[in-house]
Amino acid sequence: MSQTKLHSEPLLRVVKRAERPAGQAAALRAVAVVLSIVAGGVFLLALGQNPLAVYGTMLSGAFRSAMAIQGTVRYAIPLCISALAVTLAFKMKFWNIGGEGQLIMGAVFASYFALYHANLPHVVLLVIMALAGALGGGLWALIPAVCKVRWGTNETLFTLMLNYIALYIVQYLRDGPWRDPESAGFSKVARFDKNVALDKLFGVHIGWVIALVLTVVIWVYLRRTKQGYEIAVVGESQDTARYAGIPVRRVVLRTMFLSGAVAGLCGMVQVAGQDMTLSIGVAGGVGFTAIIVAWLCQLHPGMIALVSLCFGVMEKGSGVVQSDLGLSADCADVLQGVILFFILASEFFVRYAFVARKKGGAR
Amino acid sequence: MKKFLSILLAVCLLALCLAGCGASSSGSQAAGGSSAAAGGDATGAGIPADQIKVGVIHIGDPADGSGYSYAHDQGIVGMQQALGLSDDQIIRKNNVADDDAAAIQTALEELVEAGCNIIFATSWGYMDYCEAMAEEYPDIIFSHGTGSKSNGTNFNNYFGRIYQARYLSGVAAGLNTKSNKIGYVAAWGTENGEVTSGCDAFAMGVYSVNPDAEVYVKTTNSWYDPEGEKAAAQALIDLGCDVIGQHCDTPNPQLAAEEAGVYGVGYNSDMAKDAPGAVLTSVVWNWSAYYTTAVQNVIDGTWVAGEKVDNYYGGLAEGFVDITDLSDLCAEGTAEAVEEARAKILSGEWDVFDGEIEGNDGQMHTSEYYLDVNWYFKNVVVK
Amino acid sequence: MEQTVQTAIRCRGITKRFGEVVANDGIELEVRYGEVLALLGENGSGKTTLMNMISGIYHPDEGVIEVDGAPAAIGSPADAQALGIGMIHQHFKLVEPFSAMDNIVLGTKEKRLPAKALRRKVLELCETYGLTIEPEKPVREMSVSEKQTVEILKVLYRGARILILDEPTAVLTPQETDKLFAILRQMRAKGCAIIIITHKLNEVLAISDRVTILRRGRSVDTVETAGVDAARLTELMVGRKVSLSIRRPEPKDPQTILKVVDLGVTRPDGSAALTDVNFTIRTGEILGVAGVAGSGQKELCEVLAGLLPAQKGAALYHKENILGKSPAEIINLGISMSFVPEDRLGMGLVAGMGMTDNMLLKSYREGKGPFVDRAPARALAESLIKELNIVTPGTETPVRMLSGGNVQKVLLGREIESGPNLLITAYPVRGLDINSSYVIYDLLNQQKEKGVAVVFIGEDLDVLLELCDRILVLCHGRVTGVADARTATKEQIGRMMTGEEVDL
Repeated sequence: MSQTKLHSEPLLRVVKRAERPAGQAAALRAVAVVLSIVAGGVFLLALGQNPLAVYGTMLSGAFRSAMAIQGTVRYAIPLCISALAVTLAFKMKFWNIGGEGQLIMGAVFASYFALYHANLPHVVLLVIMALAGALGGGLWALIPAVCKVRWGTNETLFTLMLNYIALYIVQYLRDGPWRDPESAGFSKVARFDKNVALDKLFGVHIGWVIALVLTVVIWVYLRRTKQGYEIAVVGESQDTARYAGIPVRRVVLRTMFLSGAVAGLCGMVQVAGQDMTLSIGVAGGVGFTAIIVAWLCQLHPGMIALVSLCFGVMEKGSGVVQSDLGLSADCADVLQGVILFFILASEFFVRYAFVARKKGGAR
Repeated sequence: MKKFLSILLAVCLLALCLAGCGASSSGSQAAGGSSAAAGGDATGAGIPADQIKVGVIHIGDPADGSGYSYAHDQGIVGMQQALGLSDDQIIRKNNVADDDAAAIQTALEELVEAGCNIIFATSWGYMDYCEAMAEEYPDIIFSHGTGSKSNGTNFNNYFGRIYQARYLSGVAAGLNTKSNKIGYVAAWGTENGEVTSGCDAFAMGVYSVNPDAEVYVKTTNSWYDPEGEKAAAQALIDLGCDVIGQHCDTPNPQLAAEEAGVYGVGYNSDMAKDAPGAVLTSVVWNWSAYYTTAVQNVIDGTWVAGEKVDNYYGGLAEGFVDITDLSDLCAEGTAEAVEEARAKILSGEWDVFDGEIEGNDGQMHTSEYYLDVNWYFKNVVVK
Repeated sequence: MEQTVQTAIRCRGITKRFGEVVANDGIELEVRYGEVLALLGENGSGKTTLMNMISGIYHPDEGVIEVDGAPAAIGSPADAQALGIGMIHQHFKLVEPFSAMDNIVLGTKEKRLPAKALRRKVLELCETYGLTIEPEKPVREMSVSEKQTVEILKVLYRGARILILDEPTAVLTPQETDKLFAILRQMRAKGCAIIIITHKLNEVLAISDRVTILRRGRSVDTVETAGVDAARLTELMVGRKVSLSIRRPEPKDPQTILKVVDLGVTRPDGSAALTDVNFTIRTGEILGVAGVAGSGQKELCEVLAGLLPAQKGAALYHKENILGKSPAEIINLGISMSFVPEDRLGMGLVAGMGMTDNMLLKSYREGKGPFVDRAPARALAESLIKELNIVTPGTETPVRMLSGGNVQKVLLGREIESGPNLLITAYPVRGLDINSSYVIYDLLNQQKEKGVAVVFIGEDLDVLLELCDRILVLCHGRVTGVADARTATKEQIGRMMTGEEVDL
């Protein structure tokens, strides 16, 4: 008999599992949240902090006063809107990593009217700015979409690169044509006229209303309309879409325009509601975090609104942790990273299982 | 270091006491009418020292150990020690990028939430947000550094007559050049009054002791450009300059000077630490002079949010700006000449931009306000 | 007990679960050196899963695999290779731009031989087992059967004495199949142990010595091939007696509905998919299309369905050319055409959607306004479930969770419900078990009797000959003939598939 050296069975194997019931998956995610808090706590202990105090401060920092809550909501607004924006494209399996750039271009388009037509009637100006923002973001998103349907370019890289171009456009405008003449030596765009400011409701600019309305609108659009149905079919299989007589190219272009338009609207909300100027920090990574939010929520608009708020709590809360407990901003980032890691990892466990080697092997 | 600071502070305080409200009255040029009744009528509404809360927004992290935020925070620490405030009376927001509107807004709001009575915003980019917040929260003082806006009631600006220190450093430079060519790495050109006035003051200092020397200016068009600053310094050295002054953020021009074996004049911090073989002296800020004054004013009720708050432009007299001790590299007689110039300024009879001054365009210029200076002194050559 | 040395592999009580699904349930199997064992079973009966465990891709949850009489823990394909087990997969795993030789040595641990020595070694192997191959020929220039030969050489080169072939004949013409069987017989003579997975009964009878039959993950029986016939095997496979004859009603009043003239279609890469294709489609009749995989069947369907542009020719409906017209325009002419594509979940249906949304696929545009009305679609889905006995947890369960037969019923049901007068079906029974296949044949016959013109693209010649009225044979995109299915023989069709013009 041939004596062959065999590799033993691996200690742990990863096995794809049958689809878990929804309840079980939800429970698993809940466990992940708890675990993430525990792991974050261990990290904090290692830093010599009292985890309970830190978490407590984080929560109270986010909710301790009306003003704190308003701050939390302000963080959530752009996240929610841009996550909704990328959701439109993601439903179609068009990997739009360019939410950041589309947001920026929306902000640029809207800022033009804020800077040069600030004397228009308030409501008219805001409506024009919103439309301009949507147009700017939409057109910016159309560029990779057109190239994709025409030449089959890789949309992931394309949209990613356009983010940087958008950022450089803002830099150019800031240092060049739109530079505030009154700020000698410092490049910046002038602060907008007060007429530009988005109105406030309950102390927060109405961007939050826009975000909630968009949540419902996009939910209805994706689930109930013919165009939403087309997006779903194109996303599942372009062959099927072709078979069904769906004009695939048109759907891709239209949906990407909408995706960019929503992101662009978010840019307008940011400049008119939050920043009151155009700066290179206008997006500040929101377009990327939005991708995480969208996936975390499995592209469900309602969940996106909720999870964005949770991110707002984390952001706002860790700011207070930093100043109150002297924890550096980097530590707060690590803490957020730990929490995110666990929650994203739980998605793996929803889909896969580890199987341990049986004692004694196969015999 | 700490000891040095506390001594410095003690000296400052003494100077303040002697000068009375000198800081505010001498610094009120741009504060408009509000300075007319400086210190006089604002009464009794002060906040007890053990109850006052002070907020600070830094663009970087003081823990970095050097640089802009560190320097400001040393000023805050100095103020805290001088006034005997406890740690929890100081609330810091670090790493607040001054082009991230959301972060600035939130940082300011959190300081408001935390109950701060006075908030120091140390970076130029915070200005517009401070202005807007000041309007929303009239009973909190927003004190913004290095800017140009104020409202007289609860939003002020603090900055220093750094040109006075630059004049002194110019004296030192003028006495130490052999080639009679002195280089000056400037962040911006004549569009920026802060840089240009500093450059002119430096040039005038040079002229006062060495009328034959010329000051070659090269601009980098950035506050912070390590490579560009180094390249500019090198270019000036290649033109024959043997003293390199600077108004930009990194010590690179001094390092370039040291490498080339020429002298230099540093800025912002004591750059003799970076380039001991080149630096004659450095032009430095002493932020604690202002922070202490400002908080003391709030405690005393001299400044009351919503009623009156003055701008602050401290100079040599207030100990707000100065040059560091001259290094051993300086030629004999330098110290005496510098002291003479210092005495002239401190006497109050003369300031650098007094009267008509001849520019390098052949025109005569008068300057009401140094930050408006947009011309070069006659011995300045733009390269 | 006398130890039979010639036992190559023995499986004892092999069980494998995927989540809730038990793919293999206590399977017993034995294969000896010098024999061909057929593994027979319907789709989903666990054949491939079992073979994947023997070749080290999966691990059994329970049970033991013995190789050469000793328990073996096969942890990876490398282990299987070390034990002399080689698997030839249904989908070839070859590097297309590489030559046959390079593909054969790819992944072996030993030092690479010089080209000359390697060539000699490969050719020696070929001679031993009666294979023919050009060692330097790049794989991408090879025919399907040549590629299969490379796959076989790959495992032989690695010293395999136990060969597993997963549905090797699915891609071959009858002639090529015969050649493959000749090779397998030669291997058997050299003492190899061969397991062949298939669900074609005639092939089982032609090649194997013994048959192990799997049903729903269990090994129901192992029989000597000599002692059984097709009916008995079917009975074992399905679990009850099944009539194997397909009903073929006589066509009633066939009328030409579509006349295809000089049709030419070019693939995106510039190669010709169809050249000068001429034929007619008639109402009340089933037109079969036979041909080796990739002979232009797919393009033929898609060009008629309006999914692919034609470069040349016409498809005439009462002298009106429908090529290049949109589906809407075609409907206006009075033809309603339904197309059941071969890739059911990738083209005909949306895998991730439920039945309701799949019913909407071609009708969602109906109705005014921007919103989709799902109520009629849901009603249609419910009625289809009842009429066609579709097994599904509900109308909203994603169709990818359904079994192959049920998926096909959903697709075919939807198309039939649209009331077409031309129904094009591409491989409608591929991957379906026998029962489901017969349901589909019945559905097609019902349509035929209603006067619908049916096009049936198939791969099993026996079925084509029994079900269809006429058979169009394609070879490399050309029509090599249209045979009368009632009189043609399998050999004739097979020869036409390889390009011979046959007088009928």
